[in-house]
Amino acid sequence: MTLLTVLLLAGAVILTRVSSLRTAVGILGFQSVIVALACLIIGLNTGEFHMYIAAVLTAVIKVGLIVYSLWKVTLQLKNEREIANFNFSFLLAILAIIASYGFVSKALPQVPGETLGAAIALTVIGLLMIIARSQAIMQVVGLITMENGLYLLGLSITKGLPLIIEMGIFFDILVAVVVLVILTHRLKYSFETTDTSILNELKG
Amino acid sequence: MFELILVALVLPIIIGLITLPQKNLTSIRYTNLVGSALTSGIILAIINKITEIKVFSSEFLYVDYLSAVLLLVVALLTFTATLFSLPYMEKEVKEGHVTEAMIPRYYALLNLFTFAMVSVLVVGNLGLMWVAVEGTTLASALLVAFYFNRSALEAAWKYVMICTVGICLALLGTMILYYAQVNAVGEAHALNWLYLKEISNTLNPSIIKLAFVFILIGYGTKAGLAPMHTWLPDAHSQAPSPVSGLLSGALLSCAFYALIRNVIIIQGTIGTEFIHTVLLGLGILSILLAIPFVLIQHDVKRLLAYSSVEHMGIIAIGFGVGTPLAVYAALLHIINHAIAKSSLFYLVGIISQEYKTRHIKEIQGIARVMPAVATMFVIGVLAITGTPPLNIFISKFTLILAMFESKMWLLGGLILLLLVGVFAGLMNYCLKMTFSNVPEKMKPANVSPVALTAIGLSICLMIVGGVYLPTFINEILTKAAEIVIGG
Repeated sequence: MTLLTVLLLAGAVILTRVSSLRTAVGILGFQSVIVALACLIIGLNTGEFHMYIAAVLTAVIKVGLIVYSLWKVTLQLKNEREIANFNFSFLLAILAIIASYGFVSKALPQVPGETLGAAIALTVIGLLMIIARSQAIMQVVGLITMENGLYLLGLSITKGLPLIIEMGIFFDILVAVVVLVILTHRLKYSFETTDTSILNELKG
Repeated sequence: MFELILVALVLPIIIGLITLPQKNLTSIRYTNLVGSALTSGIILAIINKITEIKVFSSEFLYVDYLSAVLLLVVALLTFTATLFSLPYMEKEVKEGHVTEAMIPRYYALLNLFTFAMVSVLVVGNLGLMWVAVEGTTLASALLVAFYFNRSALEAAWKYVMICTVGICLALLGTMILYYAQVNAVGEAHALNWLYLKEISNTLNPSIIKLAFVFILIGYGTKAGLAPMHTWLPDAHSQAPSPVSGLLSGALLSCAFYALIRNVIIIQGTIGTEFIHTVLLGLGILSILLAIPFVLIQHDVKRLLAYSSVEHMGIIAIGFGVGTPLAVYAALLHIINHAIAKSSLFYLVGIISQEYKTRHIKEIQGIARVMPAVATMFVIGVLAITGTPPLNIFISKFTLILAMFESKMWLLGGLILLLLVGVFAGLMNYCLKMTFSNVPEKMKPANVSPVALTAIGLSICLMIVGGVYLPTFINEILTKAAEIVIGG
């Protein structure tokens, strides 16, 4: 578990320094693989059957379908790159990790602090990506990162939500990505770019 | 009862699926008209059944008086929205804003949206309720983006991003709630609403308080409470007008319903003081933030959208005051606001189609161009600003009365003052648009009778609702208020 947590955080930190969309999607896939593995390990430890199903669902939906659809979009977006202040978002990500481990793991003492800290850090890094990045795909990657963080949080504090709710959440995430991919396609088709900073007309 | 709910859920999906492969516009129209009438009829049957059996609860479904109030809103609005969509979309095709091939997709998405809203109201599990609320965002996102032009894409992108991030925080809150439940009584009946309500006094207060903050931010974002309302004016102004009506009247109310369901659990654990203070604060903030935008607005649909923010603030204040009378008024206000605001959005849809603009200064002399529409528009604006004897006056008056009754003199006075400001702003625009001179290029226009029927229905309800409240609605509202208070 410790190794997985470290890998997960390392992936998230690298994500803040990536400018190529395809690399970002790749790291996202890697992240989801680790979350699936975490499910599997908890399943092996606790012997709860529904953790295996959750692991399979994560693998199929987050690693398979979502990464595949994002990957297909990035293939069409050859000239798109993220230009942002990477040092700044890197610094913020590190601060988020320090704060998560420093404060949050002390707030809920009954919970093993290790995964909890990582989960909160992942959620915050995802949120930061949505706010700081302007590339549509990067924002989607941020959203999934945030969702992965929340999922991990659920795992660490309650051994996961009941299966039917979990399935609903997976389905929602999948549909959200489909909707966002459709919108991204339209952005590319209409404006030749998927940089969302051009979306600044509606005011007041 | 179980069968009725199941039919209400499955019917919109079936109609959507039937609509999707069709090419003939006339048959699409009839399918959807009949379909939405059937759906609304079944929802009304559910409400009727609830007045007999009071509570229906199975493993995942739960319907009581509180759901009945919101089901009434959804039943009314999906019908009027579908009815109004028929002439509106026909005209959009004629004007070339949308192609014929896009029409089946529109109706299919509209049905999906109805399904998502009904499912928010009939599930009895806070986790599944989260799934359903997120489902409403996704079903409506492509409707907001329907025209696929620059501003529609911008609005839809912001809508999905802000609402999904917000709703993710609500998921975090729900997980914390589940954590509290597991710690207190174990994993059985996970997040089942009725069960949680029974055991709410055994939960750990400090954890529940944490959960409340996240749940409030999450569902508050979806309900359009300031300062999380930033997606709302964009999405409401860019969506097709029937959809704007649904978004403003039904969707915001459904999000509010999800919030209230959670609050009922939470107040059983941490008491009402903290919750009421926060709701009052957010409500006042929503009204305060909306007013300057209402007063200096140039886009008529954005004007209505900011007025929705204001009304959500009023509803939040109603729940924040928290006396039985105030909650009753807030629930009545949800119904009244939904009827009035949706019909205003439909009217503005007709107006902007005729004038080919949404710019307030360019819309002049509606009274000459479309007398019937102008009359309804003035009645609608009078209603939304709370003028007697129309319906919203009753709910606002009851709410202010409840405030004075619980000795909140200052707050009541402040709200009255703010409402006068909104009245002045909205009436100013309304009268200028209606009675100024007609621009030269405008000729008297023919408005489709179907569209007038759809709006006329709401106008009738607005006028009747101002002078007479049927006893069964009164009963539903009173019982629902008792549920919210914690009875």
